[in-house]
Order: sequence, then structure tokens, then C-alpha cells
Amino acid sequence: MHAETGDEGGNMLRSWLKWGETEVEEEAPTLPPQEYRVSQAIEWEGGEMILSMGPQHPSTHGVLRLALVTDGEIVKKVTPHLGYMHRCFEKHAEAVDYPGVIPYTDRIDYLASMSQNITYALTVEKLMGLKVPERVEYIRVIMCEFNRIASHLVSIGTYGLDIGAFTPFLWCFRDREKILDLLEWVSGARMLYNYIWIGGLARDLPEDWVERAKSFLDYFESKVDELNNLLSYNKIFIERTAEVGILTAEKAISYGVTGPNLRASGVKWDLRRNDPYSIYDRFDFDIPVGIDTYGPLGSCWNRYMVRVWEVQQSIKILRQALAVLPPGDVQEAIPKKIRVPKGEVYARTETPRGEMGFYLISDSSDKPFRLKCRAPSFSNISAIVDMLDSRTMIADIVAIIGSIDIVLCDIDR
Amino acid sequence: MIQAIKVYFANVFTGIWTVLVGMRLTFWHLFTPSVTLQYPDEKWELPPGARAQLFNNIDDCIGCGFCVKVCPVDCIYMDTVRTGPGEDLGKTTTGNPKRLHVLRFDIDMAKCCYCNLCTIPCPTECLQMTPKYENSVYNRANLLYHYATYTPDEAARIRAEAAKREAEEAEKRKAAAAAKAAAAKAAPKEGAAKGGAAKPAPVGQEIAAKPAE
Repeated sequence: MHAETGDEGGNMLRSWLKWGETEVEEEAPTLPPQEYRVSQAIEWEGGEMILSMGPQHPSTHGVLRLALVTDGEIVKKVTPHLGYMHRCFEKHAEAVDYPGVIPYTDRIDYLASMSQNITYALTVEKLMGLKVPERVEYIRVIMCEFNRIASHLVSIGTYGLDIGAFTPFLWCFRDREKILDLLEWVSGARMLYNYIWIGGLARDLPEDWVERAKSFLDYFESKVDELNNLLSYNKIFIERTAEVGILTAEKAISYGVTGPNLRASGVKWDLRRNDPYSIYDRFDFDIPVGIDTYGPLGSCWNRYMVRVWEVQQSIKILRQALAVLPPGDVQEAIPKKIRVPKGEVYARTETPRGEMGFYLISDSSDKPFRLKCRAPSFSNISAIVDMLDSRTMIADIVAIIGSIDIVLCDIDR
Repeated sequence: MIQAIKVYFANVFTGIWTVLVGMRLTFWHLFTPSVTLQYPDEKWELPPGARAQLFNNIDDCIGCGFCVKVCPVDCIYMDTVRTGPGEDLGKTTTGNPKRLHVLRFDIDMAKCCYCNLCTIPCPTECLQMTPKYENSVYNRANLLYHYATYTPDEAARIRAEAAKREAEEAEKRKAAAAAKAAAAKAAPKEGAAKGGAAKPAPVGQEIAAKPAE
């Protein structure tokens, strides 16, 4: 039995208009101009083939359908078709109360659930004007950075797998298992934590957790060097990725690409440094940017390497945070009944994929009136149409998708 | 030309060298202990507080319904009926008196998203998430866990008694309202004087954006 919101059938535009009380006349929908249509009849020009790198594919990192127009092996045009994973997150958020949205936010980007939890919690806390205790801030940063390492390990491992290297994949997952064990010890679940709540956390850290986390970091630091030796500076890997999928800085900014993809194109922009949220301004860490030793900026290799360097920076942040964790009660600021004043707010954070934002409109009831999620992978995948050059082949498309590091649940919410 | 030959051989050398660096790593890996867990024979010990199967200790359940309200996917189904006068269900182990018959308490584990939001508001802590994770079944209907302990006959009898009590109370209320109306008619002047004081106008609704529930 789910509550209904607004009018019959949930015409979201109509209910949004009632809120702002302005009238907009609805015109009949027209088709978009020719070059933007996705399901157009494609003319056959002397031997071009349309290949559907379809939703079921081992290398598209999810149910992504890419319509490739190919001339032999060279890919002329790529069009992503999305929506196979759409689960109406924004509609669900209007039907459950504020704490009940958090399990839904977990499932937007399941590899880094804590990042979505914290973005949503920061959004609601911003609107409520709630201040959380110091211990909660530190633990949130620790969880997000552990999640960042885990997510990047998946990305690095599966990227190696796409290229053809099986060993780094299993080594990355072995190390990720150790992180997941730590996070399971804290929150009870391995992947979809529901741990960062509005105003605090679900549970406090168990005894000895900090020691186990520190010993994990000591163990893990040498593994990153192993990974570099095995995969990152391997000549075959570099040949496969260093001159492929070039995305220049201007194109990246104009497509709205954020996160490691933007930094690999040479733009030094990280929300943890440029628009700090939570307590990131207290930590000392570098922002890795792409280099052009092995090829131009904005190549697949740069995107991959920025993630490896980010893992090393996350280890640095974690060591600083674990050293100064203050004591306290993590649940004292959680309100008994969440009363959000009427208003609108937008808050954004840096997830492993890029900039994630939640735009919340509240009408002071116990459920959000409208919650819009700005997903980083959605803008990142839209840049793929411009990453092709005259020599991109189908195997390079696999390398390009893996380097953008999309998660379909994030694109389609 | 010479440059091209040099680059060619340099590439060949770098290619072979980086592969050998990688192979040295994997060779030393042969002598490290294995991390694989031979699953059915060896099982991983989950930490306490791990979130797997939901369990409700129905003897402690007071039927408050907080878990039903808080569940984001509505996977808990509960029917309760108030106890009549003279029925005493006793107390829970935490000291709360039980005033409701919990005739049905079903949890659909196929819908459950394992978020643990239901165990937090439970006042007697009868609903817990246990670390039991091997719950697969061959028939999906078996994922609907029934926790109530009333047989269908008992449940039907209790419902019938409760319905009878409800009907009697409704009769009594109607009779009381009719008696009050008759008394009011018998003294119209007093009633008019009292009713003359106008009720305050209802507070105007704000922007009519409250979602209907």
C-alpha cells in the first residue's frame, strides 16, 4: 500500500507547478531536430553497418545499449541508449519519509553507497540547519574514503579485465573484500549500508575497528605499487589505452563531465578542494591530474591512472582521519521526528564517479515533495560521442567505456 | 630510418621487459598463502550485527506497528485486534503489557531490502536482524515468513468477538448521541445562546501543495 502523491497518475510537472504557482502553457511535443534523434532510420552509406553493442554485454558495465555505426572495424558514430535500469528512484522518494529514502539512495551507485548517503544527508541537514557532532563528521569522511578506494578497485580491476588482464582483477577484489569486511563489521551489510543517517550515523564504530582499519592500510599500501608494476606501466596496456578515447578539457567541461574523467583531461577540479563539504578542508591531500608522458591528456590511460593515484590520496586522508578521531556520541543529533522546513536546497559531493547532487524541495510534511538526483555517470557517458577519432575500432570502444567508469544504476537511477 | 629501427627495437625490448616484471610478481604469488575460502566446507564467520534474515520473537511483540510504518518497501504485513475486557495476554520480557492480539505478522523476505530500518523503532526489540544468510528456497512463496501463532479458527473467533464488541459500542455511542440531541432540543433557548458564539474561521490553507495521502 503506497501513498499517492499529488494528482492522479502523478503528473509530476503539474504538481511541481502547483508549488510554484506559475502557469506554463503546454505545447504539443515535437520531434527533436534530425541530428539528436536516437531512433532514426539510418541510411546505409556504402557499407556502413549498425552494430548494437546491446544491453546484454559483458563489457558495457551494466545494461547499456550502444548503437555503433561502423565501417568495417572503424567506428564512425556511437549513440548510447539508456533507461534499461530505470527504477523510478525520484518517484519512490516522494512516497517514503525522509529516513526511508536512504536505502533508496544506497542503490543509486551501489559500489559507493556511502557517498550517496552522505550527499542526501548533507542536503537534508542543509535545509534543516542541523549541525552534526565532530565524531560523526570524521567517521563519515572515513567511510566515504574507504568506499572511494573500494569503488576505484572495482573500476581498475574490471578495466584490466576488459582489456584482457585477469590477474589484477582478482587481486583488486581480494583487497576490496578486506574493505567490505571492515564496513560489514561497522554497519552490518557489505554493500548497501544505510549507515549515514540524517543527523548522525546508524551505529557507532565497534571496539578495535580503528586498529583493524590502520593495519589494513599498512597492508594495502604495498599492493598499489604491485598493481602499478603489473598493469599500469605495462607496455601492452599503455599501447591499448594511451592514445585512445581522447577527451579535451573544453569538451569535458562543456559536456558536464566531472570526477576522475575531468581531472584526467587536465582540469584540476575536485569538489573536496574547490567547494569543500563536511570537514575535507582539514585534510592535506593532492588532487591528481592527468599527465602526458605516454600520450595526450584525456586518454583512457590518464583516466585509469587518475583513479590509481586517487586511491593513494585516499589512503593519505584515511591515515590522517583515523589518527585524530575524536570521541563522542554519534546519535545525539539525530532528531526524533524529522521536520524539514519548507524550502529548496541543492547540495553536492564528490563521489568516485564525479559530482553527485541532490535537489530537494520540501513542503514541511514528513515526505520529500521532490527529490532530484544529479547523477555523475549520466553526464560522463554523454561525452562518449565525442571521444572517437578516425581510427577508433570496436575494441577501443570497450576500452573507452571501461575508462569512463559508469555504473548504470547511477545513470538511470 | 635508423631512428625508426631504433624505436622498433626499443619497443620490443620494453614490451618484453614489462611482461617479465609482471610475471615476476605473479611468480612470487605462488608462495603466498591462498585467500580462497572453500565455501560449503568452510564458512565465513559473520560479525555480530550483520544484517541477514529478519526474525521476530512474536511472544514479545505488542503489535504497535512501527516496523510496518517505517519499512520503505512495505514488506511487513500485520493485523491486530484489540483485546476485550477480561482477556489478559500478559507482559513482554521488557515489561510492556500486551494489549493487542497479533493475528497476522508476515514478513515477505523477497521484498525486504535488508535496510534494518524496522528494528530500530521496535519498543520491545523483538524484531531483530540475524546473521543467518543461507535462506534460499525452491518455491518463492516460502520466502513469506509467518510469525503469528494463532490458528485460523482461533483468529476467526477472536475477530468475531471483536466485531461484536465494536457493534455494541457503536450502538451505545449512537444511543448517547441521540439522548444528547433530545436533551438539547428540550432546552432550545440555552442551546441557542450557547450556539450563538461563532466558531473561529478555519485557518486558510497555505499553498495547496500538500500531497494527498
